[in-house]
Amino acid sequence: MPRYVMVIDQSRCVACMACVVACKRENDVPAEHYRTRVVEMVRGEFPRLRSEMRSELCNHCDNPPCVNICPTGASHKQADGTVQINRRKCVGCKACITACPYDVRYINEEHGYADKCSFCQHRLKEGKEPACVATCIGRSRMFGDLDDPNSEVSQILRETSWRTLKPEVGTKPNVYYINQFPRKS
Amino acid sequence: MELNIVGTNAITYPAMHVWDWRVAIYLFLGGLSGGLMTMSAINYLRPNRTPESTCSWQIPVLAPILLTIGLFFLNLDLERKLNAFWFYLTFKPVSPMSWGAWIVLIIYPLMILYALASLPKDVKGKIITNPAIRNAADTLQPYLLLLAKVNVIAGIILAIYTGVLLSTLVARPLWNSAILPVLFLTSGMSAGAAVMIIVAQSKEVKLFFTKIDIWLIITEVVVLLLFFYGHYTGDAAHRQAIMPFFSGSHEFFPYFLSIVALGVCLPLAIVLKFLEVTGEHTEELTTSGLLLMNASAVLVLIGGAVIRFAIVYAGQLSGYGGYM
Amino acid sequence: MAFSRRNFLKYAAMSAGGTLIADTPFLSARARAEAEGGNVRYVPTSCEMCFWKCGAIAKVEKNKQGEDVVVKLEGNPLHPQSMGKLCARGQAGIGQLYDENRLKRPMIRTGERGDGQYKEVSWEEALNYAADKLKAVIEKYGPESIAMLSHGSPGDYFTNLLKALGSGNIAFSSFAQCKGIRDAAWELTFGHKPGSSCERVDLKNSKVIVLLGTHLGENMHNSQTQEFAEAVGHGAKIICVDPRYSTAASKASLWLPIKPGTDTALLLTWMNIIISEELYDKAYVEQYTVGFEQLKESVKQYTPEWCAKETDLQEADIVAAARDLGRYAPNVVIHPGRHVAWYGNDAQRSRATAILNAILGTWGRPGGMWLPAKGKFASFNDGYPKYSDPAKAPVIKGDYPFAGGEGLTQVVRDTTITGQPYPIKAWFICGTDAMKALPDQRQTLKAIANLDLMIAVDILPSETAMMADIILPECTYLERHDGLFKVEVREAGVGLRQPAVEPMYDTKPAWWIASELCKKMGLADFAVKDSWEARMRRQATAWGIDYDKLADTGYVSLPDSAFPYITADNQPEFKTDSEKIELFSKKLEEHNFDPVPKYEPTDEPEKGMYRLLYGRSPVHTFSRTINDQWLWELYKENQVWLNKKEAESLGVKDRQYVRLENQDKVVSDPIQVKVTERIRRDCVYMVHGFGHNAPRLSRAHKSGADDQQLITRYKVDPITGGTGMRVNFVKIIKEA
Repeated sequence: MPRYVMVIDQSRCVACMACVVACKRENDVPAEHYRTRVVEMVRGEFPRLRSEMRSELCNHCDNPPCVNICPTGASHKQADGTVQINRRKCVGCKACITACPYDVRYINEEHGYADKCSFCQHRLKEGKEPACVATCIGRSRMFGDLDDPNSEVSQILRETSWRTLKPEVGTKPNVYYINQFPRKS
Repeated sequence: MELNIVGTNAITYPAMHVWDWRVAIYLFLGGLSGGLMTMSAINYLRPNRTPESTCSWQIPVLAPILLTIGLFFLNLDLERKLNAFWFYLTFKPVSPMSWGAWIVLIIYPLMILYALASLPKDVKGKIITNPAIRNAADTLQPYLLLLAKVNVIAGIILAIYTGVLLSTLVARPLWNSAILPVLFLTSGMSAGAAVMIIVAQSKEVKLFFTKIDIWLIITEVVVLLLFFYGHYTGDAAHRQAIMPFFSGSHEFFPYFLSIVALGVCLPLAIVLKFLEVTGEHTEELTTSGLLLMNASAVLVLIGGAVIRFAIVYAGQLSGYGGYM
Repeated sequence: MAFSRRNFLKYAAMSAGGTLIADTPFLSARARAEAEGGNVRYVPTSCEMCFWKCGAIAKVEKNKQGEDVVVKLEGNPLHPQSMGKLCARGQAGIGQLYDENRLKRPMIRTGERGDGQYKEVSWEEALNYAADKLKAVIEKYGPESIAMLSHGSPGDYFTNLLKALGSGNIAFSSFAQCKGIRDAAWELTFGHKPGSSCERVDLKNSKVIVLLGTHLGENMHNSQTQEFAEAVGHGAKIICVDPRYSTAASKASLWLPIKPGTDTALLLTWMNIIISEELYDKAYVEQYTVGFEQLKESVKQYTPEWCAKETDLQEADIVAAARDLGRYAPNVVIHPGRHVAWYGNDAQRSRATAILNAILGTWGRPGGMWLPAKGKFASFNDGYPKYSDPAKAPVIKGDYPFAGGEGLTQVVRDTTITGQPYPIKAWFICGTDAMKALPDQRQTLKAIANLDLMIAVDILPSETAMMADIILPECTYLERHDGLFKVEVREAGVGLRQPAVEPMYDTKPAWWIASELCKKMGLADFAVKDSWEARMRRQATAWGIDYDKLADTGYVSLPDSAFPYITADNQPEFKTDSEKIELFSKKLEEHNFDPVPKYEPTDEPEKGMYRLLYGRSPVHTFSRTINDQWLWELYKENQVWLNKKEAESLGVKDRQYVRLENQDKVVSDPIQVKVTERIRRDCVYMVHGFGHNAPRLSRAHKSGADDQQLITRYKVDPITGGTGMRVNFVKIIKEA
């Protein structure tokens, strides 16, 4: 069984929003709702500034608070490491939305179920990368199987220093961030 | 720092708006009905109970009604009400919500059986028209003592549970405190005692629960202080989580106001109740004495509601990290 | 052991229990559709959300009613301009296709011009009406009184119509308002433009990249931004010269927040440092250039100390940047830029950019600029008769000796107003919102008021289109054939545009509209013989390309066409008079221009005024995508960027709405202030294309403010006729 992870190279993100639109189209995400976002933070005073860019999405945590709180098992962890939602079982109690430290869930208002990034599960089944990864202009997003030592993501996580978001919450994310800033050569 | 985010959802950004007054009311009424279960059972079980303690049947009937109203508000909050049956096709041992669903399912019959058992004969004849139910009530009567004992425990479980759900949410530091269930428990019990005082006719019952309530309120205040103290001495996110209550800024004014309200209601209730207990009473309570008693009970109920509302809303403002 | 994504995908597909269908990258639309089965089709085509013409693949499914619906757009991995990826706009092409505000049927104006009163008519009626009106104008004023302003693909077909009618008054905004100035300057220097649709910058191999105002990342040119990110990723030095801390600046190792209008001073000073410190590529200069001594003499005056004062930069930074360029030359590039119509002396600045590249030896060097591909395309005109020369010479080049063939839009406009040297009385407006594209809208309105006939061919009811007498609704790029496109990157190749779905409503491809008008005007010889697709097939045959393969894959490369770098047997050709790189231009000297670029200062804002700068958002193309629901959602209204200290002194808060008033007392619509450290104190910045005054665009109408409205002043570049538009100053007016 693979163990899917995403690695995001922040230095290569150009905040172009291609991932955001690709995700919305691929997954038919309703208007004004998002499964992924792009964050741009600029610190300092003119002209000494530093900027950080990164895309964010469901971290498919190994210790997922959303799965723990879900009363019906609609939110569940799969053997491939992803956190998925069984829409049929969702009662729309929204506990998972409050449980997520990363604020990546929303309610599909038409149907009432909670929704979020699935790592494009349907594409993985077809052997395709998630839509955001496939279209990432800066090749900032990388995706692969951590159980395969030869995968690109395995190699990067082995050889580079990485971090995850909000490690203090103890969620053990499967989305890893590298190169917080571009190299100042 | 300049922050620009593209792709946020209104439900979580810039502030989380997931649960609102509906959930706060549910938590309040859930806690209150738990308090009522326990308090009415205690009233039945207490020594030296005089037979004319009339509130012994109204309260057991009131408890499931209030819980039903609370669940009605909770149901209002569900986005897919027709899917609610899934609660009972699953049991998730780590999910407090799943526990909650099952607890309610078990507690409801306990409440109703107790209510039926505690109905006096004359009342039974008036309010129950269905002979089968009347029969059932008759059959249950001998088990009243047992049912009362069970209800003491069940009420405590129900009241605690209303705080357990929030306390497990690690992502919301204000809620994520093991003291929160205890706070909701004491507050629920205290509210239950307050309703006992209001509904009870006899001076004796009123004074009994006034005495109990003094201890409950004192406990509640101590637990509340410990709750804030625990956050203040906790990690940065926990400390930040209680700031809305103490910042006094325009933005967080309602939270500041809630602290003021609690700071007035609870101590004032203690003082009033203390005066009631220590004061000389005639055989029948005077109108003003009655008024004062009910007023102090209402203060307690207001305090209980304020706690639920403030914590439900403020908890959604709290979080880890953010963008710094 | 090498790791690869393909291995991962193969493994993923097997372990997930799916059939191994997408293991190989996209090679054929038919094969992929067959493998996936069901009711899905894939249609390779070329995107037109901007003008980069990325290869895109439309995924088409049948909906419940059995109609074809485009459900997803993806980049074509075979196509070198998209390399398997599409930007946000490309992904959102579906939003244009299914925009409920589209022009749906031909319309004829019934009210006053500009009041939005129209009746819907049949194509037959609209075309007959247009033909009658055109004939009347020709009768009265002659065929040259018909002009066209265009941008993008519909222009090609109407160019045919106008030329057949006998008018050469055809102008594209891409010249005077955009990159024409640069192209002319580079032709004067290298004998080549710096690229056809893509600049030939070898970013992915660069060690140092200099960007002058070019805000890659916000300026989302797909393959180029991919290469830029690649360069950032492997640690290339980025030197970003921009008064604003752009996305590109945030990736830079050196950000030079230059005083606007002084870029030429910086370029000339860099040349001085590089020459005086002998950091230039001596052998290259010796072998390939002329005029080095004159250049050396001319740039001596530009000392770093002077430059620091003039540009408001640190002297040490200026010198360090020059030394970095010298140290890593020739694997460095100074990006030629794209929209360079800034200050009215832009050809000389572009010359300076070109010359700096030349002395560093970047042309034809890895990490510099690759050499033009050597693909040869046989000429093909499908048996059309030759156009006869217009009786009266076109006005489109004005008095500017180096204006290009794309023409000067503002000269067409001026002629329409003055009637000199002859009247222009009819306009075709094809695929451009002239109100947003041309500086000084007051003049545009004046010209339109002078017209006897205005015909708009467009997809959306833009402000300009809704002033036309006749509106001919074009279908979107996802609904039409548009010809074979020459792709000229490192290699040469061919892409195409073909429909993913049938045209919606009563819309038609521009080729059909122009062709039908040809027939109505009695020019049947110039009409399309059968269908555009049939013509594309014939063209493919002429070019020696298998059309069916092209239609199935979306891109075919020409074999042995890539010769990117100079080698002993791959020598560059410079199509200049001297057949060398002209550091000193005799041609310019002949026309009394500086043969070697010189610095001339620009006007500065008065106290209390800020220079108005404008640029792009990565999710919008000018004004044309604002109404796209997927893009509008991401960036609904523009903001005016104002330095934090200035905001404090003005008492303006972040996100507060203000109006901008320019030097000519023109006041903008309300616009939100972005209070930021990311911009100099002497200028403000806003994204171009907002503030539509087009009520039929339900999302874009009155969203944000229009920079073009405030650009009432423009300085014309005397060499090329380009309209420098960064010469306007605004003050902030707080709303009561």
